[in-house]
Amino acid sequence: MALKGLDIFKLSPKKNCKECGSPTCMAFCMKVAQGAVSIDKCPYFSDDAKAMLSEQTAPPMKTITVGDHKLGGETVLFRHEKTLVSKNLYAVCVCTDCGEEKVDQKLADMAKVDYERIGERMYVEFIYVANKQTDPAVYANLVKKAAATGRSLILSCWDVECAKAALAVCGKDVILDGATPDNWETMNEVATQAGVTLGVWAPNLEALYDTVKKLEGKGNKNLVLDVTADTAKETLKNAVLVRRTALKDGDRSFGYPSIVNVAKLAKGDDRLQTAYASMFTEKYGSIIVMENMTYAQALPLYGLRQNIFTDPQKPMKVESKIYPLNGADENSPCALTVDFALTYFLVSGELERSNQPVNLIITDASGMSVLTAWAAGKFSSSTVKKTFETLDIENKIKNRTLIIPGKVAVMKGEIQEKLPGWNVVVGPTEAVQLPKYMKDKEYEAAAKAAAAENAAKAATTVEVKELSFDELLATKVPAIEVVDMGVKYGGYNPESSTFVTIGERIHCISPAIRKAMDERDPAPILKRAAEQIAAGATYLDVNIGPAEKDGPERMMWAVKLLQENFNNVPLALDTANKKAIEAGIKVYNRSNGKPIVNSADAGSRISNIDLAAANDAIVIALCSADGIAKDNEERMKHCHNMLERGLSLGMEATDLWFDPLFLVVKGMQDKQMDVLNAIKMFADEGLKSTGGLSNNSNGAPKKVRPIMDSALVAMAMMQGLTSAIVNPCDLRLMETIKSCDIFKNHMLYSDSYLGDRPDLL
Amino acid sequence: MAFVPKTQPYNGRINAVTLGTGDKAIVIGGQNVLPFYTFDAPVENAPKIGIEVSDLAASWDAPALKAFYEGCTTMADYAKRAETMPGADFLVLHFESADPNGANRSVADCVADAKAVADAVSMPIVIMGCKNIEKDGELFSKIAEALQGKNILVLSARSEDYKTVGASVALAYGQKVGAETADDINLAKQLNIMLKGLTVAPESIVMNIGTAAVGYGFEYVASTLDRVRLAALAQSDADLQMPIIAPVSTDTWGVKESSASEEDEPAWGSREERAIGMEVSTAAANLTGGADAVIMRHPAAVATIKKFITELV
Repeated sequence: MALKGLDIFKLSPKKNCKECGSPTCMAFCMKVAQGAVSIDKCPYFSDDAKAMLSEQTAPPMKTITVGDHKLGGETVLFRHEKTLVSKNLYAVCVCTDCGEEKVDQKLADMAKVDYERIGERMYVEFIYVANKQTDPAVYANLVKKAAATGRSLILSCWDVECAKAALAVCGKDVILDGATPDNWETMNEVATQAGVTLGVWAPNLEALYDTVKKLEGKGNKNLVLDVTADTAKETLKNAVLVRRTALKDGDRSFGYPSIVNVAKLAKGDDRLQTAYASMFTEKYGSIIVMENMTYAQALPLYGLRQNIFTDPQKPMKVESKIYPLNGADENSPCALTVDFALTYFLVSGELERSNQPVNLIITDASGMSVLTAWAAGKFSSSTVKKTFETLDIENKIKNRTLIIPGKVAVMKGEIQEKLPGWNVVVGPTEAVQLPKYMKDKEYEAAAKAAAAENAAKAATTVEVKELSFDELLATKVPAIEVVDMGVKYGGYNPESSTFVTIGERIHCISPAIRKAMDERDPAPILKRAAEQIAAGATYLDVNIGPAEKDGPERMMWAVKLLQENFNNVPLALDTANKKAIEAGIKVYNRSNGKPIVNSADAGSRISNIDLAAANDAIVIALCSADGIAKDNEERMKHCHNMLERGLSLGMEATDLWFDPLFLVVKGMQDKQMDVLNAIKMFADEGLKSTGGLSNNSNGAPKKVRPIMDSALVAMAMMQGLTSAIVNPCDLRLMETIKSCDIFKNHMLYSDSYLGDRPDLL
Repeated sequence: MAFVPKTQPYNGRINAVTLGTGDKAIVIGGQNVLPFYTFDAPVENAPKIGIEVSDLAASWDAPALKAFYEGCTTMADYAKRAETMPGADFLVLHFESADPNGANRSVADCVADAKAVADAVSMPIVIMGCKNIEKDGELFSKIAEALQGKNILVLSARSEDYKTVGASVALAYGQKVGAETADDINLAKQLNIMLKGLTVAPESIVMNIGTAAVGYGFEYVASTLDRVRLAALAQSDADLQMPIIAPVSTDTWGVKESSASEEDEPAWGSREERAIGMEVSTAAANLTGGADAVIMRHPAAVATIKKFITELV
């Protein structure tokens, strides 16, 4: 049973005395939750607290395991609240009085539905074997037949002798759906002895509840509840009330998975069963029993199930591979996109509509959409190259035309370089434009042009050897000219407890900055730096983009440019290119504070912590691995993973600035308090925190954003936020931050604490 | 300790919106509980089924569907036949062929069709356009004008055109107007506020909060339905208390499960039965999530969903 680290923490002494060997109480509790250390290691946990723990931390709904299948374990009533964890499973029913031939036919038909959809095997997981007579041999015979299919079984049988005979001829991946208010005692013995899950049924919820209580009294909590009634209406009521009582009212006696027999509710009507099964997929059926499972039922039902049980925080991904469409072969052109399932469906659908043979190549982008993946560095020339190597596309496909999404036209040059021999063509920006684009073969001319360009390039290309940082600095970084921008950086004392603002305006997502970086044109960059420094930024973030090609010299130039012009203003070095960060730190002047590595996470970018440790830098540590953390349990797990890694490499805890990841209100409104509470947890452990605070108001009207950002920063500073990545030119936000610093007693009040502002005095 | 079921009726209530006139008029919405939660409080008005009558219906080739409309040539023929379909509550005239990128049928022709249908049938009428903002704007305004007094519902006003559609359909001609957004609760609320800002009465608005066939991103639809309903009922958010209509058939018939031929997918069996299955499942999933009306096409799917609703309310 999974204890929650945060629940344990609530009862912990919160002394952070380190006597247990862990740096903080929180870290200790997380370890206890994972079973890595015993709670007795802490001398200060009271016995009462320990007793309460086992009581309080039991999940509201049990996870029941039958063979390889997991049932239940839900914590919420609606998927948007968090996520649903155990998808509903399907059973097809056979019974003792439906005739041998029909049983054989049904089992054979059932086995025909077995296919894959987006990485998931779709098949009938259970056979529901119904006993309608009293001869144990007859029932055992039927059960044997069902067991031979290799599927798990539900033995629907109220007759004790028949149940015993059945259990003797099948394996352990069985639910004995046989306890009723009348026979529960003997059935319980049969199920416990056989070591199988017991199904409980009663004519109404009151009797069901009583029976469960009695079974629990006997020590059996390996139960599922058969909530099927005579009508669909009554069955829905049962399913909802059982789940609601467990999850909302916290009554664990109804905290078990359910069986819903729609075959009984709509006997002989496959279509109505499809309708009911759809309803019970959304509303609380753990196993849904059908009379049949034809493709006409399976295709919609399994599709719906896959959707409903998708983790809202982890988008559906399709497999990275070549999808030949419209009869494409090795001579057909290739189109490239990401593995986000909706993107795939949209793009493949439109390509199919074009009726033109094309090989759709899906590249691994962690299930993100095209632009999101590009911005996160998950869809880059390197990831595309990796896909081409993994899938061996070079040898599998002869055609050399590669159409890339119009939205990432900027990647054309880089992909072209990484995939010599391919003619990279920029496709349309929207999927709906694809049919026309393909039909008119617009890509042909572009491919020809790309081929010519490649040929010309090939003639002039010379091998370049990799240069060391010093060599790069000497040969590739232009001399810095100091320009008087009329602004002086006032200096920063890292010991001070005032809020640290990291100015976010030097970012390659801005076309002007991207161009300036490409051309090493100082003016636009200095202008934005001056504005931010004048507005009171503590640090400046320097985002040079993915910069796969010339990252090191780019970063060295940017760092020198900014520091030499602005009194060694401290900087956050922001790129996915590690070499570039290292190079930047090489030329970095620490007189106003350490450089910040932006950023590491607990997943694929965790080695950026090593980079920061090796270079005595601060690191922004995103509390996420793949996708946004589900809850604070997960956020804190990531936090402690990164903290331990940093500490083990000799870093100071205060040099890891934890980023809870601020979420967009439009879309994730119900998760805002989670983020704020995570900040409090960091602070309680004496940890520093930061984050892209203005992400909360993304997509909100321009004039509303400063209002939202200011309110959030005040709430976050109350929780203990120590820094944020912000637009310092947002006057309202900066005034709020300074005011909060006054209230937090981080800065002495004077009438002019907001600066020399005659307009206010 | 005996089990005492706790009921959970809400203080918030979905607006009751009347469509059509006379004996065949229908009311959608009105309840203060989650869909089919009759054990919390009675469901005021059972969800309703609209029958899609497309001006491209002649191309429908599923055998039983074709047989049902045997002999129909004009839209009015189709609508009259649809009115006889068991389970039908209202008719949905879908002017797909108005699309400038398709057949580009003239607004005048479409209006004439709508008028002919209105003269021939007595069930409430819902209008669906061709998704082209400009064309729909003109089409909606002209049809709303031509069918004044019929109390029709026009699908839909979107954030791009709510001003023109809302002003003409609801304000000038007194019809009901749909508010269409794509699986985004914040946008759904915003559009309702903007329509109310034009002085469209809340009781004249029906929401289409976004659609998808099951298997095709339906999780977004499901969670938007859940969240919209909980906001309307639990938080009494008056800007989200409009009833919801879910076009089903317009999504389900196009996906591979419904359209792949039996030659291409021999294991899958009857194509028509698959299409019925997709329609039934998507409609049931929408109704379970909170749709107060669904738009469907196939008589067998309609009969199934009618039975589904009857059994549950």
